[in-house]
Amino acid sequence: MSRFDREGARGYTARDAVKAMVIIVGLLILFAGGSIGSSAARMDQGIGRDLVSAVGEPTEWVADRLPLDEAESELTAGLSPDQELGEGGFDAAGAVAGARIPPITPEAFDPVAIGAPAPPKRPLETVLVTGDSLATPLDTELARRLAPDGVRVIRDPHLATGISNPDLVDWGRLSAGQMRRDDPDAVVVFIGANEGYAIPGPDGEEIECCGTDYAAAYANRVRQVMDTFRQGGETKVYWLTVMTPRDRDAAMVIKMVNAAIEVAAEPWRSQVRVVDTVPIFTPGERYRDAIDVDGTETIVRESDGIHLNETGAGIAADAVLERIDQDFTR
Amino acid sequence: MLFPTIEFAIFFPIVLVLSWALMSRQPLWKPFIVVASYVFYAAADPLFCLLLGGITVGNQLAVWLIHRSDDERRRKWITGIAVAGDLLTLGVFKYYGFFVTDVDEVLDAVSLGLPFPLLTIALPIGISFFTFQAITYVVDVKRGDAEPASLIDAAIYLSFFPHLVAGPIVRASEFLPQLQAPRDPNRVAVGAGLALVALGLIKKVAIADTLAREVVDPVFGVPEAYFTPDAILAAYAYAAQIYCDFSGYTDIAIGLALLLGFVFPQNFNSPYRATGFRDFWRRWHMTLSRFLRDYLYIPLGGSRGGRLFTYRNLLITMVLGGLWHGAAWTFVLWGAFHGVGLVSEHALGGRIGRQTPAWLRWFATFNLVCFGWILFRSQDLDLFGTFLGRLVDPGPATLWTVPVLLAILVVIGMQVLPPRPVERLQLRIERLRPALLAVALAFVILLVGATVPSQGVPPFIYFQF
Repeated sequence: MSRFDREGARGYTARDAVKAMVIIVGLLILFAGGSIGSSAARMDQGIGRDLVSAVGEPTEWVADRLPLDEAESELTAGLSPDQELGEGGFDAAGAVAGARIPPITPEAFDPVAIGAPAPPKRPLETVLVTGDSLATPLDTELARRLAPDGVRVIRDPHLATGISNPDLVDWGRLSAGQMRRDDPDAVVVFIGANEGYAIPGPDGEEIECCGTDYAAAYANRVRQVMDTFRQGGETKVYWLTVMTPRDRDAAMVIKMVNAAIEVAAEPWRSQVRVVDTVPIFTPGERYRDAIDVDGTETIVRESDGIHLNETGAGIAADAVLERIDQDFTR
Repeated sequence: MLFPTIEFAIFFPIVLVLSWALMSRQPLWKPFIVVASYVFYAAADPLFCLLLGGITVGNQLAVWLIHRSDDERRRKWITGIAVAGDLLTLGVFKYYGFFVTDVDEVLDAVSLGLPFPLLTIALPIGISFFTFQAITYVVDVKRGDAEPASLIDAAIYLSFFPHLVAGPIVRASEFLPQLQAPRDPNRVAVGAGLALVALGLIKKVAIADTLAREVVDPVFGVPEAYFTPDAILAAYAYAAQIYCDFSGYTDIAIGLALLLGFVFPQNFNSPYRATGFRDFWRRWHMTLSRFLRDYLYIPLGGSRGGRLFTYRNLLITMVLGGLWHGAAWTFVLWGAFHGVGLVSEHALGGRIGRQTPAWLRWFATFNLVCFGWILFRSQDLDLFGTFLGRLVDPGPATLWTVPVLLAILVVIGMQVLPPRPVERLQLRIERLRPALLAVALAFVILLVGATVPSQGVPPFIYFQF
């Protein structure tokens, strides 16, 4: 006999259970019906997301007509662990490049690449490691490698987010908030696992992934985030391209992401270093689970065929640190 | 699909209403609950449903063959093959990577490398739980503790969504009888169900995830960046986190099952109240402990063959129990650590009880268990060594905040307090009017929901096992 029988807890009926559920669902729709849509934005594309979106529409309609949802959001805002976002989201002016031809500035050239004298190295004190889930466990690997030198590493990955999906996190605003809060010497960015969402083009119409129009719109957003991170040249940015994933459809998106990163970084080659992970992990853009590490075939990818495992993240961290050491002392 | 998500909040009310609407028509209810459970599971990856279906059909076939045979040897063989098949499945999906990397590395050192290819294999969520349940089904039928079920009942037993992904490990002999007749719609523990779901949500989202975010993940991720005070805090915080995470999941699972009319066994009983290792394992993940006892320790011979034989069996059981948690040396050593603890208790016998005050036994047990958790949480042995080094490296405290300290104290303190008043309070809450509890649960969901970061609720720790 279970404790629920012993203690007479089974004194209710199935009707009570259903009534209780109706009350819970009703209250949740009244007080939080508007947040179902944003939950859908967090989900992977597919039937589940479509269903949640479909449920979210009427509940949002109900919540919008009553003041309860807003009141609940205001009352519980203090409990949120999310950091404050900064100004200038992707919808703000400047997200799309202007029409006139921008002048090429000296920042577009990496002095070492053209044989010019390299600027003196600065001491490295604070590094921000950010991005989507790709940034883990790279953030931990970098933090562990830099800890003995007394370098402060701020690990701030935002899982499931994407530059093309500001419904979940607007990287335009998030990056501004991060820089205002942390003011690091260097920023390491590894993002691109959740891209491919439709983006509004210059005329406001949604562009679907992954043609040249889309790549341009995406690259504009990447450039905006890079510009925020580089803080006018005060901060060095190390932006990793994304190694080819196992899934072919995802590989098409990643190909666009990587091309956009390269193009977006063009104006500030001396300040935004693109760390190309493709030749390291997927030479020839051909997916593989394992690569040769010190003469031994070693698994470097997670079973999802997207992310790096700890060993892979360690190799990526080495590549990043090699670039960091060209700019900083530690 | 995770319990504390919007998908599940949409899924469960629909299932609850349809389940009770169809309950009196079992030929409709049974396929319905199987489909609902497979939909729940498919949210992780639809391909995993094939594996779950395969395990179900394979074990059901074995059970039929066992039941039809009068030859004891033949029954033994079929049971052995079925259990081996379940363990092989678990081994391939869960331990393949471990063997072709870590174990192969050790064997390479003595020129005995494994000839298997390097592959990354996705770990189907919940595989450790449903393969163990499949084993209890086959073995219970072989022992005569459970009757063979129909294929549809076996499918419900193995896939029933409240326990599918992280237990509790419900035995066939506990669950299958509940399927023999429709659940009585006039005897539903609605109050207890709602209260447990609310408690589980608070434990998981408000306490466990907050401790993980604020202390545990930063310190265990990069122990080099912290000193003694933060390392000590992280060790105790992880003890509180893993308890709240896992028992929170169990509370929700038991609560949901109650709302659907089913009863699951208890899985936790104030484990940090334990005054010894044996006592701890009677209170922590109780359904795993009894599985290990009944399906491993006792078949190995238990304590029937003298002291050394008993110690050997204890060590084997605990090492394999550790390995069940994950394919890593840290889990193996964690199991061995608890095995040594149990053996030491056995060896010292009643002397400890007679000569040591109860508070000292509690204090020692609690701190040893917390030490074991450091091993359990460390990603590898290097990190474990580094963490231990930080425990004795004086420096500033950077993570000691009032909410964190309060959370740890409440989690540990509630278990150490005399249990009666807490149980009485729980009972009074469970007997409140369901409508009142429903309103309370809705506000709990809103409040804990507000503490969820924009990137969502992290998975339960035990999902990876």
